[in-house]
Amino acid sequence: MYYLLPDFRFVKPETLREAFRELETEGAAPIAGGTDLVIDMKVGRRKPDKLVYIAHLPELNGIRDAGDSIVIGAVTKLQSIVDSELLRKHAPVLPEAVNEMASWQIRNIATIGGNLGNASPAADTAPPLYVLNAKVVIKGLGTERVMPVREFFVGPKKNALRKGELIQAIIVPKVAGEGVGMSYVKIGRRQAFTLSIVSVATLVKVEGNEIVDARVALNAVAPTPVRAPHVEEALKGSKATAEVVMKAAEEVLKDISPISDVRASKEYRRLLSVALTRESLLTSLRRAGVKVEV
Amino acid sequence: MPEDPYSLIERWMKARSFLVIGKSVTRADAIEKILGRAKYVEDFLDGALFAKMVLSTEPHARILGIDDSAALRIKGVRRVITARDVPGINEVGYALPDQPLLADKKVRYIGDTVALVVADDFEAALRGAEEVDVKYEPLPHILDPLEAMERTDVLIHEENGSNIAFRTKVRKGDVEEGFSKADVVVENEYRTHRQDHIYLETEAALAVPGLDGRLTVITAAQHPHLAQKIVAKVLGVNWSDIKIIVPYLGGGFGGKDDEGPLVAAKAALAAYLTGKPVFLEYTREESILVHPKRESTIIKYKSGATNDGKLVAAEITIIHDTGAYANRGPFILWRATVHATGPYKVPNVKVDGYAVYTNKVPQGSYRGFGNPSAQFAAESQMDLLAEKLGMDPVEFRLKNLLRPGDDTATGQVLEDSVGIAEALEKLAKVADWKRKRETYGKDTGRFRRGIGVAVAWHGISTSRGVPDWSNAYLKVERDGSVTVHTGIVEIGQGSPNSSHRQIVAEVLGIPPEKVKVVYGTTDAPDTGATHASRGTTVGAIGPFIAAAKVRERLERLASELLHAPVEQIEFVNGIIKVRGTDKQITWEKLIDEAYKRGVEVSATGYFFLPKGKFDDEKGRGFAYPAYSFIAMIAEVEVDTWTGVTRVTRVWPALAAGKIINPQQVEGQIEGAVAQGMGYVLMEQFVFDERGRILNPNLTDYVIPTALDMPQVMKPVYVEDLFKYSPFGAKGVGEMALIPAPAAIANAVAHALGIRFTQLPLTPERILLTLRGEK
Ligand SMILES: Cc1cc2nc3c(=O)[nH]c(=O)nc-3n(C[C@H](O)[C@H](O)[C@H](O)COP(=O)(O)OP(=O)(O)OC[C@H]3O[C@@H](n4cnc5c(N)ncnc54)[C@H](O)[C@@H]3O)c2cc1C
Repeated sequence: MYYLLPDFRFVKPETLREAFRELETEGAAPIAGGTDLVIDMKVGRRKPDKLVYIAHLPELNGIRDAGDSIVIGAVTKLQSIVDSELLRKHAPVLPEAVNEMASWQIRNIATIGGNLGNASPAADTAPPLYVLNAKVVIKGLGTERVMPVREFFVGPKKNALRKGELIQAIIVPKVAGEGVGMSYVKIGRRQAFTLSIVSVATLVKVEGNEIVDARVALNAVAPTPVRAPHVEEALKGSKATAEVVMKAAEEVLKDISPISDVRASKEYRRLLSVALTRESLLTSLRRAGVKVEV
Repeated sequence: MPEDPYSLIERWMKARSFLVIGKSVTRADAIEKILGRAKYVEDFLDGALFAKMVLSTEPHARILGIDDSAALRIKGVRRVITARDVPGINEVGYALPDQPLLADKKVRYIGDTVALVVADDFEAALRGAEEVDVKYEPLPHILDPLEAMERTDVLIHEENGSNIAFRTKVRKGDVEEGFSKADVVVENEYRTHRQDHIYLETEAALAVPGLDGRLTVITAAQHPHLAQKIVAKVLGVNWSDIKIIVPYLGGGFGGKDDEGPLVAAKAALAAYLTGKPVFLEYTREESILVHPKRESTIIKYKSGATNDGKLVAAEITIIHDTGAYANRGPFILWRATVHATGPYKVPNVKVDGYAVYTNKVPQGSYRGFGNPSAQFAAESQMDLLAEKLGMDPVEFRLKNLLRPGDDTATGQVLEDSVGIAEALEKLAKVADWKRKRETYGKDTGRFRRGIGVAVAWHGISTSRGVPDWSNAYLKVERDGSVTVHTGIVEIGQGSPNSSHRQIVAEVLGIPPEKVKVVYGTTDAPDTGATHASRGTTVGAIGPFIAAAKVRERLERLASELLHAPVEQIEFVNGIIKVRGTDKQITWEKLIDEAYKRGVEVSATGYFFLPKGKFDDEKGRGFAYPAYSFIAMIAEVEVDTWTGVTRVTRVWPALAAGKIINPQQVEGQIEGAVAQGMGYVLMEQFVFDERGRILNPNLTDYVIPTALDMPQVMKPVYVEDLFKYSPFGAKGVGEMALIPAPAAIANAVAHALGIRFTQLPLTPERILLTLRGEK
C-alpha cells in the first residue's frame, strides 16, 4: 500500500555525541523502532524535518545488573525485555506487561524508550514502571537528569524531554522477594495484539497478614498513565484479605478521569478500572503467598 | 438426447464409490502460496502510472466545480480525471441505476469518489490528489434510516422521489388468524451493524492498454465478466475489447464482488485516457471508507406458537440502511426477506422489507448476504418462544424444522435435499447439548458458562427467476493432461484448485495432478460470480458436464479398442480396464488414439439452472432451486467483572449435499466462524455526526486473532444431495457465518439470563447492561 511520507532527512550518527549534535537542530526527532513515529508520519500527525536514528548506538542498548537495580538501555527491544531472566526474576511485572504488547514481530523492532518517548496515555510499559518506582535517565549534550517515570509523562503524547535530549536508560529497582507480589492485567478489544482499553499494574508487600506496601497504576484512564494513591492508602496497613481488596479497589474512581473515545466509553472504563484493580491486586496477593478467594 | 446435461448429472449422482471425491485432496495452489510465490495484482506491477482517488469530504453536497490547476502543476502529474471525461456511461449501479463511477452532480457520502489523479509515480499522484480543489455546496444530510424513511424534504436521490430505495414482501396465509391461535407470542426489535471484510489484499487493478490485443485489466474482482461489462460500459467499447484477468485474490467475502469491477473501471478509464498502463490500489483507509459493508439493520419481529410447540405466525419488518447507493442492497434485502422465518414451517407469514438511503458508506455483499442478521432475529425469537413454552430450544426447533415435502414461507415446496432436522439431532448428541444446557447457565460466580444453538438456511444460486448458469471449456491435451477454463476465481476458497480438479479427475478417472484449471479470466465463458457459495455447486457444473461428455466419447472409443461393451469399461487412476478381465489401456494411449481416430476430446460444459417464478406483487412463489442448511452449537464463558465473552467451543453440522473435499470445507467453516465471532463480539464502526467513519484503520477496527478463536469441532455432515449439481454438492462458503451471531448471542443469553437484541456484544455493552447502566 502506498502512503506519502513527508520530506525529511535521515541521519545515522556514528556516536552518541554526534546524535546529540544532530538533535540540536529545529525539527529533529530521534527514531528507534519507528513503530509509532513512522505511522504518525504516514497519516500526517507528525512532520519532522530530520530523523536521527539511535537504535544502533551501544550506549543506549542492553539490560544490565547494577546491584540493587537493573538498568535497561532505551533502545532495548521489547522482546529482549520479555526474554530477560534478570527482569523476570527481580521485576516480573515488566516482562509480563510487555508480553501483552503488540505482536512478536513488532516487539522485535519496537523499543522501551520509544514507548515512553511516545508518551501515549495507553502505553503498556508505564503502569509496571510506575509501580516499580522506576526512573528515567535523560541525557543531553553535556547534561544528565534522572526523574521518576511518573514525572516523565506530562500529557497525551507529551513528555518531559527538552530539545536535544534523549532517554538513555530506565533504572528499575529490584523489588521482588519474600512477601512481594506483582501483576499486570490488560483488557483490550480482543485477546492479543491490541491497545489497552484499561490496564492495571499492582505491587504489594505483605508482612504476616498485613499489607505493608501497595502500589497501583493504570493506563488509558487519564491524560497520562496514573498511580492510584487512594487505593494504595486504603490498602496500606490493612489485612491482606479479599474483602479489603474488593473495597479498596473502588477508591480507584477518585484517581482516574477517563474519557470516551472510539475504543470505549468513560462509563465502561470506570467499571473496568475497579474490576481490573481488584483482579490485579488479588493476583499480586496470591503471588506474595497470601491465600485469597472470591 | 446425446450428451444431455440432465442425464449426465443423474448418471454421476448414482456413484457410490469414488476415486477422489469426498477426500481431502491437497489443493493445487498450496505449495505456491506457502512459499510466497503466488502472485496477486500488485505483483504484476512494472512501470505503470499511478492513480489516486480524490474522495468526498462531504456527506451530502452539490459539486459546484473541481479545480485541478494546482494538482496539474505538480511535477509528474499527468492528468486529473472527473465524470466529464468518461467516454462511455458513468452510471454503474448494480441493482438500480443510481450510482456514478465518479461523482458528477452530487456527492452522497464521505468517501464518494470525485476524481482520479494520474501521475508518473505514486508520490506525485498522492500529492496531486491533495491539491485537487473540489467546491461543494453542502446539503442537509441524513444518517438515520428511520428518519430517512419519513422525510421527503431531504432526498438523497431526487429522481427516486423518496429515500426508500427498494421494497420487498413475502405473504403466506393470514397472520392475524395465525396469531389468534397462538398461546405464546414474542415481539422484539433487533439491531445489527455494519461489518468490513478486511481482506488482506485491498482493492487493486492494473490496466494495460493493448496487452493481448485488448485493454487488459488485471484486477481483484469476484466476477471477471461483470468487471468486463462495467469497464466496457464506462469506456463505451465492445465487451470483447476488454480482457479481465483475476489472479490470486487476497480475500473477497463479497466486498470485491461490489468494488472489484469499480476499481477495474477506474484504472481502465485512466489507462484509456492516457494510453499507458495504470495502477490503482486502495490504501486500507480508502478501502474502509469507500467500499460497501455488511448490512446494518433494524428488524421488528413478532412470532407466535401454540402450547404443543408449533409455530403459527410470523410478522416481520426489515429495514436495511443501504447508505448512499443501492448497490446490491435490493438483492440483499430480498434474500433477508425470504429467509426471515428461518428454515421452519410457518403457516402464516407477513414480511415487509425496506432498503433506505442514508448519507453513509453503502451497504453491500458480505458472506451471508443479508442472512446473518435475519437469522439472528429469527433464532433469538425461537429461543424466547421455547423459554415461554418451557421447552428445550433444540426440541422446539425439531418440532418446526422444514422436512422434505414441506413448503417454505414463499409457498415453495421442497421435495428433497432438506437434511436440517437430522443434522440438528445428530449435532445435539455430539455436543452433549442436553446435559450442558441443564448445567450451564446456573453459574453464579465471576465466570458464567452458556451454551446456545442456532440453525440457518441459505438459498443456492441467484434468487427468484434470475437466470443462473454454469459454463466452461475443457480440452484434453495430446499428452493426456487436461486444461479447464472457468470464470470462477481463486479467492482463497480453493474451488478451482480443489473441487473443480477433483470433479474432473473423478469423471475422467485420472489423477487430479493431470488437471489444470485456468480460472478468473474472461477468456473462459461467463461462469457467473464467485459468490453466493456457488463456486462449486454451480461453478463446477460446467467443468463437470464437459468432462462427462468427453468421458462418454472415450468410453465408446475404449469399447472399440478393447472389444468390450461400454458398460464394462472402467476408468481408474489413468488406466482404462474391462471389468473382470486383464484387458486394459493407459489413459495417455487412449488419448493418443482419440487424436488419431477423430474423436473430439474438447468440450464445453453448459448448464442452465431450471427455476420457477416469484410473484413480487403477491410476495409468493419460487425463491431458490435448493437450500444449504447448517446447525451450530456454541459454548461461551462470560466474565461478569469485565464483560468479556470468550467463545470456547463451536460445533457445526452441515446439510450441504455431497462434501467434495472435507479439508476445504473445514477451512471454510473455521474462517466463517472467525468472521462471525468477530462480528458479534468486537467489530464495529464508529461514525461521527457527519457520517464519517472514525476508525478506518486496523488499530481501531478490530478483527479477531488466532488467540480469540474457539475450538471448532469436527463437523457433522448430512449429505442431502441436490439434484442439479456435480455429485449433489450444495454451497458451503457462507454457511458457518450465518448462524454464528445467533448461536453466540443465544449462548450469552443462556449464560447471563439477559437477552441482547442489539449487536455487537462488546464487553462494554455486556458490562453496562449487567450493571443496569444501559
Ligand atoms: C501493530 C502495533 C501494535 C502496537 N501495540 C502496542 C501495545 O499493545 N501497547 C503499547 O503500549 N504500544 C503498542 N504499539 C506502539 C509502539 O509499538 C510502542 O509504543 C513502541 O514501544 C514504540 O517504540 P519504537 O522504538 O518503535 O518508537 P519510535 O516510533 O521509534 O518512537 C516513538 C517516539 O518516541 C521518541 N523516541 C524514541 N526513542 C527515544 C529515546 N531514546 N529518547 C527520547 N525519545 C525517543 C520518538 O522520537 C517518537 O516520538 C503498537 C504499535 C504497532 C505498530
